[in-house]
Amino acid sequence: MTSPAGSSVRFDHVTVAYQQSIAIEDVSFELRAGEFLGIIGPNGSGKTTLLRAVLGLVRPVSGSVTVLGAAGRELPNARRHMGYVPQRRALDPRFPISVRDAVTMGLYPALGAFRRPTADERARVEQALAAVGLVESAGHVAGHLSGGQQQRLLIARALVQAPQILLLDEPTSAVDAATRSAMVELVRRLHAERALTTLYVTHDVNEVLPCVDKVLYINRTVRAFGSCAQVLNRETLESLYGGRVIFAEEGGRRYVVVGDRHA
Amino acid sequence: MLDFLRYGFMQRALLSSVIVGTTCSCIGVFVVLRGMAFAGSGLAHAAFGGVALGFLLAVNPLFAAVLFCLGTAGLIQVATRRAQLRMDAAIGVFFAFAMALGVLFIGLMKRYDARVYGYLFGNVLGVTPGNLAMMAVLALVVIGAIAVLYRPLKFLTLDEDMAEAAGLPTVPLAALLLGLLALTVVVSLKTVGIILVEALLVTPAATAYQLTHRYGMMFVLSWIAGIVSCVAGLVVSYFLGIPSGAAIVIVATVLFALAALFSPKRRKCKVCGHESAA
Repeated sequence: MTSPAGSSVRFDHVTVAYQQSIAIEDVSFELRAGEFLGIIGPNGSGKTTLLRAVLGLVRPVSGSVTVLGAAGRELPNARRHMGYVPQRRALDPRFPISVRDAVTMGLYPALGAFRRPTADERARVEQALAAVGLVESAGHVAGHLSGGQQQRLLIARALVQAPQILLLDEPTSAVDAATRSAMVELVRRLHAERALTTLYVTHDVNEVLPCVDKVLYINRTVRAFGSCAQVLNRETLESLYGGRVIFAEEGGRRYVVVGDRHA
Repeated sequence: MLDFLRYGFMQRALLSSVIVGTTCSCIGVFVVLRGMAFAGSGLAHAAFGGVALGFLLAVNPLFAAVLFCLGTAGLIQVATRRAQLRMDAAIGVFFAFAMALGVLFIGLMKRYDARVYGYLFGNVLGVTPGNLAMMAVLALVVIGAIAVLYRPLKFLTLDEDMAEAAGLPTVPLAALLLGLLALTVVVSLKTVGIILVEALLVTPAATAYQLTHRYGMMFVLSWIAGIVSCVAGLVVSYFLGIPSGAAIVIVATVLFALAALFSPKRRKCKVCGHESAA
């Protein structure tokens, strides 16, 4: 399911409002199949609303969202081609469910009420567990996993749907630095291996610098959209972080430092 | 020993115990995992208003209780969503209102009718063929809905946000679950009564929770605990000549205590080493 022109996600002058409050306004951008988009912006800037609009969970009050060629009332049909990884919340440690069972839940939209997973679908669950390194934990209680492991579980659950688009909403917001870089590397690898169109919401520009094809800086409206070189300049970043920005290079990688602290 | 089953009222009591044990233990899994115990208690108290209205208007009290409980469940949903109240506050508002209506309806009756108060504590030996038929139909609706919606309800219970992102209609599903809970309360009224129905909504599922880390197995164990509680409670009440509702709840609580005492979840999880605080 792709649009003829190879466009994966397209926003045309999209405005989304909750009751009387506008969350995003006149947002336009286009992402082609297989591209990696980093979405940055301050708290409350509309990053999560943008992902919810892609998923068809909120309807624009004006403009149109087209995902894999589907728009308007057809948009929810594209949802089964999308894998969504929400902002990390601890899974309920009291809920009686194994890691494997929690990953299998990603198949539920395709399985319907009663159909049991086929051998092929069960193999996809094992592949997804292997892809995120959770094979040995498959029998554990899901809520007993560490924060980073739980986040990998959610990625596996998204992968088991064999999505064309992967949406990640600040997947590293509540994990330590080592886990964060492992997570980013995992997403980068999955994006490359599976040619996934990837939308990655983050506060930390450095997190996605090595991976992204494009960057969208949003603060209710689009402040900047384009390649890293186009968007991640001193003027844009100082607007984002509200302070002096320094670019540093180490081991061939570029880092952004805000004032005297790491971004 | 099984001589007591020769009597029609005992056969109906046994059948109604099986129906109540099955229905309460299945919906109870959601009550325990979603933290809906207060909703169960609130809807049970709301049923009192329906029962009293039934006696006032001389219609089937169970039928009136169905309408009252479903109406209260609907009002709780509306207040939670529209008035943006926490669910426990919405329940607090409407169950007290339904109870107040019950008291009002009793006051409007031309003569005192002690049968209203029989619904407070239940009387499994007084189940009529008509009661039994109505209980069976309502139980089939509840169990059938849970079977059909097993996977969506599991998703809703584990992670409501993810369920929504997967395209599930989470608001109607949560409302439906409350409606099923309301019907389950009515199914149980004649057997354990308004005051004690809460125990059957919570205790068998809480017992099962002590014994397993698997969602599907929790339904099976909860069902066994529910059936054993109701049937054993009925038999004990017959032979000891004690109130049936109380006997059922006492047996259920003993089962829970045993499960909690010998729970394998008290030990470290063999697989991941996590010590559950079940």
